Amino acid sequence: MGIHSICNALSHLQNASRAKLGLTSIPNTKYNLRFALALHRNGFISSVTRAGLTPPPPEALLTFETEPVTTANVSTRRLWLGLKYFNNKPVMSKLEAVSTPKRYVTAEYRQLAKISRGFQAGHVKGLNLGETLFLSTDKGVLEIREALEKRVGGMVLARVS
Amino acid sequence: MSVAARPAARRLTSSVGVLSSTTSTTTATTTAIISSQIPLCRRSFSSTPPASGRRKPRFRNITARDLGLISPTSQKRDTVVTGEQIDDFTAKKFPKYTDAEKAELRRMYTPEQIAALEAGEASINPKDLTIQGRLRTDVYRLPYIDDFAEHQPIIDKRPPASRGRRISPPDPNARFMNTDEFVGDLIEWADKFRVGEPTGTLKRLEDFVPKEWRKVREGQWPGEVRDQAHKDFKKYLQEEINKAAKYQENGGVVPGGPTDADVLSYILERSSMTDKNIQTQSSLALALPDKVPGVAGLYTAAVDAADEGLDETGVYQDLKRRTGMKVQEILKLQSKTLLENRVSNQTRMGKIASYLVFTVVGNGDGWVGLGSAKSQEPSLAWQKARLDAIAKMKPIRRYENRTIYGNVEAKVSGTVVKLFARPPGFGLRVQHRIFEICRAAGIYDLSARVPRSRNPMNTVKATVEALHNQKDPEEIAMGRGRKLVDARKVYYGGATQ
Repeated sequence: MGIHSICNALSHLQNASRAKLGLTSIPNTKYNLRFALALHRNGFISSVTRAGLTPPPPEALLTFETEPVTTANVSTRRLWLGLKYFNNKPVMSKLEAVSTPKRYVTAEYRQLAKISRGFQAGHVKGLNLGETLFLSTDKGVLEIREALEKRVGGMVLARVS
Repeated sequence: MSVAARPAARRLTSSVGVLSSTTSTTTATTTAIISSQIPLCRRSFSSTPPASGRRKPRFRNITARDLGLISPTSQKRDTVVTGEQIDDFTAKKFPKYTDAEKAELRRMYTPEQIAALEAGEASINPKDLTIQGRLRTDVYRLPYIDDFAEHQPIIDKRPPASRGRRISPPDPNARFMNTDEFVGDLIEWADKFRVGEPTGTLKRLEDFVPKEWRKVREGQWPGEVRDQAHKDFKKYLQEEINKAAKYQENGGVVPGGPTDADVLSYILERSSMTDKNIQTQSSLALALPDKVPGVAGLYTAAVDAADEGLDETGVYQDLKRRTGMKVQEILKLQSKTLLENRVSNQTRMGKIASYLVFTVVGNGDGWVGLGSAKSQEPSLAWQKARLDAIAKMKPIRRYENRTIYGNVEAKVSGTVVKLFARPPGFGLRVQHRIFEICRAAGIYDLSARVPRSRNPMNTVKATVEALHNQKDPEEIAMGRGRKLVDARKVYYGGATQ
């Protein structure tokens, strides 16, 4: 499974947050969905909603009844992500791809432990204040601290802060 | 509405790109003629595609402002004001009179006054009030509010003489006085304070005889006339001697004579030209009257007792007002000149050199500011830069009052400064300019890299910017809705030192 859709989503979300968008969309793929939910778990985005080509009504984002995905509508489904702002600044301002479709970067558990303490391990630099690392593991897309808790390593997708 | 008549309105409307639709019809027709002559597809000089050619997003997004996530004024892009915003503001701020208000006005004013009010309302477009009529808040505003309806002699330029003011045009034939004219002028001035006889002359014996005997010699006067004249003359001389004795008793002061203030006024204010001392529109300022109208009684000496005599020259008075600090506190701040450059401005008169100085000021306890100033006098540039730095002092975030929060980076031009937080006891392993900034700010453990250009000016700018742009852990935690814990503090049971 390639990671091009994740890389595209990263660029798009960074552009969207710099353009001060409130609600934006990325293609509806399983990988994107897992990544979006991981961002949501870590408080970077406010909502993840599957809808069609037009944005769902913002006032009904949390109560929106999503249509079941069928072969008839699968091509028009998109994931609508609500971006967060605090003190007029985007909560998620920098998204940087670590693995690219051309070069996959992996890190095992011991390396992750070093990285999370701020030290470089392999090709991955240590985390700075407020930075997070998202990984694709056997147990889904996880943030680095979740991966450490589950004692798993995996492919390093993105550095988000 | 013809926008051409109002430059401010034109600027506003052109910035939102509706100029062509709001200009008068004549302009529109001329542009149409011109555009029909010039081929529409001109070569563009920019590689950026025109707005119409740019790719539109396929999926419509909703901006954060529309969702109410950020306040409208926060975005720098929103400095462009739309016509709708202007109309909204106009309607809100300058509404028309309601019927109730009109009824109330009719009760208070005569029909003529009401008519005048209505005419006034009709003559002023409320949109103009929005665009042009507002109090300035910029740095270059006048230090007082004025509609320039009246002439205020203290702050306004002198009005032209043609309005029938007391000040007359200068005498074109005036020249400096020669010795005789000067002596005459001095005597004329001194005679204002005359006590006794005209200056320099005592009466003679001849002055005490009747007119018909004055031209005749004393030997031909009749006996009784001569005796009377001698008697009067003797009495007169005795009076003069008494006067002189009294003058000596008073310590040389003639009662009713010129005071020191009169002498000063003679030296400073009396014209030394043959213009009969008429005040003219010369480059010299008019002398102030005893009591300046409008400020009499309001003026107090600039020296503040709270300064304890530390600021006699008033250098810090402006800073006191702007920063709220006392002079004693200002003098305690530590400052360091980080760089000096001799710069020059090439004009038709030649190169005009001046000194550019960058100074850092800090209280050694988390406040730091960087100031810069230019002057032809190096010492003045140092002083100005220091005052500027004090005015720009801001608090920085310090981890455990010794280092910074995480690693920060700032870029100014081609210079990138990277600052790294370091453990206690590490010291300041940084270049000398960054060292001085850290010392002023009260940072003790830090390392820094300047990987690219090491231009001194950009280095110091970027360092201060980096120190001010540190992330706030609290803000990150609240933004994400997650708890952020300092592992170091948790490990040592919350100890901070």
